[in-house]
Amino acid sequence: MKALNRRKLISVSAVLAVASLTATAVPANAAEVGVSSSVIKLGMTLPMTGAASLGYNKIPGAAKAYFDYLNANGGVNGRKITLVVKDDRYVPTEAVARTNELILKDKVMALLAPLGTANVKAVASSVNPGRRGVPVLFVNTGFSGFADVKKYPTTFAILPSYIMEAKIMGQYIKENFAGKKIGLLYQDDDFGSDALAGFQTAGVNFAVKVPYAAGSQGAAAAAGWITKFKAAEADVVILFGVSSATSAMLGTAAVLKYAPQWMLGSVGGDATTIKLTGVPAGVLYNAIGFSPVPATTDMNDEYIKLFSDIYAKAVPGSVFDLNVLLGMNTAFMTAQALKAAGQNPTRKSLIAVLKTKGATLANSALTPVGYSANSHVGLTGYWIGKYSPAGDLLPVGGTYVTYTTDSGSGAVVKSTYKRPAMPAKGLPN
Amino acid sequence: MQLLNTILIGITAGSIYSLMAIAFVLVWRSTRVINFAQAGMALLSTYFGYEAVTRIGSFWLALPIAMLGGAIFSALVEVILMRVLVKHSSSGPIAAVAPIIATLGLLGLIRSVIAMIWGGQDLRIPPPVSNNGFTVNGEVLVFSPLKLLILITTFILMALLTILFQRTNLGLSLRASAYAPEIARLSGVRVDLTRTLGWALAGAAGAVAGVFQTVNGNGNFSPDSIEFSLLLVSGFIAAVIGGLDSLLGAVIGGLFLGLVISFVLIYLNGGLFFIAPFVVLLLVLFIRPQGIIGAKAGRRA
Amino acid sequence: MHKLKPRAHFALFVIFGFLLFLVGNRVDELRVYQGASIAVFVIAISSLILLTGYSGQVSLGHGALMAIGAYSATLARNEFQVPIILTFFIAVLAAAFGGALLGAAAARLSGPYLAGTTLALAIGLPSLANQFSILGGEQGLLFDVGWPPLGLGEDFTQYKWFFWIAALAALISTWLLSNILSSRYGRNWRAGRSNEVAAQICGINTGRSKILAFTISAGIAGLAGALLSMTIGTVSPSAFPLALSFALLTGAVLSGVSTLSGVMIGAVILVAIPEIADVVAHRIGSSENITTNLPGFIISALLILTVLFVPNGPVEQHRARAAKKLAKKAEK
Repeated sequence: MKALNRRKLISVSAVLAVASLTATAVPANAAEVGVSSSVIKLGMTLPMTGAASLGYNKIPGAAKAYFDYLNANGGVNGRKITLVVKDDRYVPTEAVARTNELILKDKVMALLAPLGTANVKAVASSVNPGRRGVPVLFVNTGFSGFADVKKYPTTFAILPSYIMEAKIMGQYIKENFAGKKIGLLYQDDDFGSDALAGFQTAGVNFAVKVPYAAGSQGAAAAAGWITKFKAAEADVVILFGVSSATSAMLGTAAVLKYAPQWMLGSVGGDATTIKLTGVPAGVLYNAIGFSPVPATTDMNDEYIKLFSDIYAKAVPGSVFDLNVLLGMNTAFMTAQALKAAGQNPTRKSLIAVLKTKGATLANSALTPVGYSANSHVGLTGYWIGKYSPAGDLLPVGGTYVTYTTDSGSGAVVKSTYKRPAMPAKGLPN
Repeated sequence: MQLLNTILIGITAGSIYSLMAIAFVLVWRSTRVINFAQAGMALLSTYFGYEAVTRIGSFWLALPIAMLGGAIFSALVEVILMRVLVKHSSSGPIAAVAPIIATLGLLGLIRSVIAMIWGGQDLRIPPPVSNNGFTVNGEVLVFSPLKLLILITTFILMALLTILFQRTNLGLSLRASAYAPEIARLSGVRVDLTRTLGWALAGAAGAVAGVFQTVNGNGNFSPDSIEFSLLLVSGFIAAVIGGLDSLLGAVIGGLFLGLVISFVLIYLNGGLFFIAPFVVLLLVLFIRPQGIIGAKAGRRA
Repeated sequence: MHKLKPRAHFALFVIFGFLLFLVGNRVDELRVYQGASIAVFVIAISSLILLTGYSGQVSLGHGALMAIGAYSATLARNEFQVPIILTFFIAVLAAAFGGALLGAAAARLSGPYLAGTTLALAIGLPSLANQFSILGGEQGLLFDVGWPPLGLGEDFTQYKWFFWIAALAALISTWLLSNILSSRYGRNWRAGRSNEVAAQICGINTGRSKILAFTISAGIAGLAGALLSMTIGTVSPSAFPLALSFALLTGAVLSGVSTLSGVMIGAVILVAIPEIADVVAHRIGSSENITTNLPGFIISALLILTVLFVPNGPVEQHRARAAKKLAKKAEK
């Protein structure tokens, strides 16, 4: 089998080589893998089963809901989008095997929203979409490394990095809680160490830091955390963990009537998810929260209104939460990029469009996207809000105030970003 | 106060592990099998309980329904699966691993069938009573009416089981059926029925453990709930600590494990959550291989 | 059992290796990758067959031993720039050392106690990666075996290189293993498995014999671990979940725990399950809930059915049937 030329590590030749191999499988009038005269094929691997699948397994349904809506309204330049979804069970070995199937057997044009740092890293190293010229759009992890254009030439990050979030939180603490005792709950792995690095850059000193092992978060563990925070007399407690940790903590705090000033990281801060676990809304009241996208209950927001409408029709009975919003936003951005990539989009033109126009593509996020020729940094900031008595994260005073920063030592600044208006009917323009 | 809280957390979690350990012991005593599908059965029973709660609305009716469902399912597994297994693979190199493999396969099968029927998302059983902590001397304890209830129910069930074993010769028949089925049969023990009964009781105990583990957490559960993997590992380790053969040992093992995990979490590092039970298991196996309570026969089952 | 002389045996492996080489040149890149995965599974499953089928011990924690091999190979490569071929030897040695320790513990335990201990190991060990920063935490470390040598030509893909390395390793380790099993050690293991007391009376030190089995088995598992991280280019805790240990056991049972010659069967099934499930799901055109959970369902059902009806594996079953026929003929 003729395949990649490893001495000319130029993505162009790789694209051509792979494309020539599959030329017979593709209709004559289309020049790109996964793009026929009537269909554009995209692929996604993520945990659909297993302990890590909870919540994330709603993402494919959400993306499909948007693509179905798009297809019913004419698709992208007349082509319909199909999404092939495979279960990687959050195991790198599976992610590599499934991605190989997507690229080599299903022959998708691009990969969409893969999840988990270890998985994306393994795929980048083994499958090497960079060398094959396969776009990897909107990686679902807060690891800052994937924005590195040299290491991951075809990969585009989307979520702001954990470091950015910790820096913005740190800035907020210095401005509002100077002299208070701060406590931090964090996950005892990379997710947590990125956070610690960010807080250090921001110059936050903690009175107490409580680590937890991923997977150990339950009511019993949470009671243990609370005893530690109480012993250190923390005034402000930051919960920088996954949503099961946040809800275990808040649920147990309700039991113990423990009520410091809460500050919730965005990963575990989705109010809809927290309340579904039975945490009384009152506990959330006045907690400080951070998010790059509008509140999922904010029906004044045109995107939230449209997306939740589409989702309710496509997947009746399922709650419109942060994962759904992110899934639909990813699909929407993909559609925008494909449309902008020209009448006959190719992998190359898709990547080029994201580099040149990616930062101006319409999408629901309230903070700017950092794509450029030299950087594939996704969203670069957060808005800061407070949870309402009903437990919804809302902007203070009704207007979203956003802050941006980078994953390095750059300053945290108030953003002047103005989100582009939603195109008519939420279809790519 | 911290010490009191630590102990209360440990005992409540530990009592649930004890129930699970009892399930392991009952199966072990009746058929000399470690049932790795025990957690899967507990999960399935929790789904039964969920269906009952949503239809009837009463937790106290749903719990016995879940127990009954768990018992029937467990008995069916014994009749359909284990009897064939004993017939086909009780000799040769496979004999040592056949029961382990069969029950692991069953665990996977139950999990995937549950996910096919109920889907992969979270379902929820609301707690029957308040989970707000009691106040003592102006300080709020982690101990709540819900936890008290769990503790009381667990101990009532254990007491009932003990009475059952002491008043009848069920305990003896179970052991006889497992160790020397032929002799047991000769002395009038209905071996097959006894074994099935052992499994059924285990299924019921596991059902309670599953439902309580769910409401003691945040009430949510799904086919992939981490709580059920914990239940499997902790229940098993508790049973081994207790000597695998003794109901009292299982209870002590469960409480001991619950306390150890709770002390590690609160006084040491939360990152050690998964390593702590492993260390406990190894220590027990090396210092007292026969368990806290158990014959001196060594661990050569 | 067939009794082949070592030399004839060796020729058999060489011929099989040549066939693999031919096949590897003719199939597409996806199949080449899957071939490499199958080779990795062949090695890992054979280590379990040695342990369970021959020495009668159970391990639910072989995934953890694979992790030891994978991490030590990676560290040797990244920290000391050890040549690639040496990293695999280091993986074998490191895992064998871990296996010896575990084996010493295992010799005192049996049946469910051993299963439980190894199970706890499979759960506990990978989380250690978060306690030491040199192990790279959740996101793991890169493991790069480098490009294929230039002499192999410009069209030689990375996956083909993986396949060559893994297949060669599988051939060598299986050959060594089959020789060990037909040696004195193999007989000692089988003797200890079928009747420990009788073996002891015959002068076999069953305790030491069991530890040796665990050590060798772990070493082979370590090799499989290093090869696994080669095929996925990284090593991370999530690559060695409990499910991997269970999958290996499944593979061993499907192959027949007591026959090394069936080892391909289990490995092929493990790699092919997702595709089989895809085909089935397409046929019955089912809902998402069912499609997603079909692979898990099929593998579990297959496992139970095998244990119930073909407990000693398809190869042994076939042999037993052939032997029966032969015996009948002889009677006539």
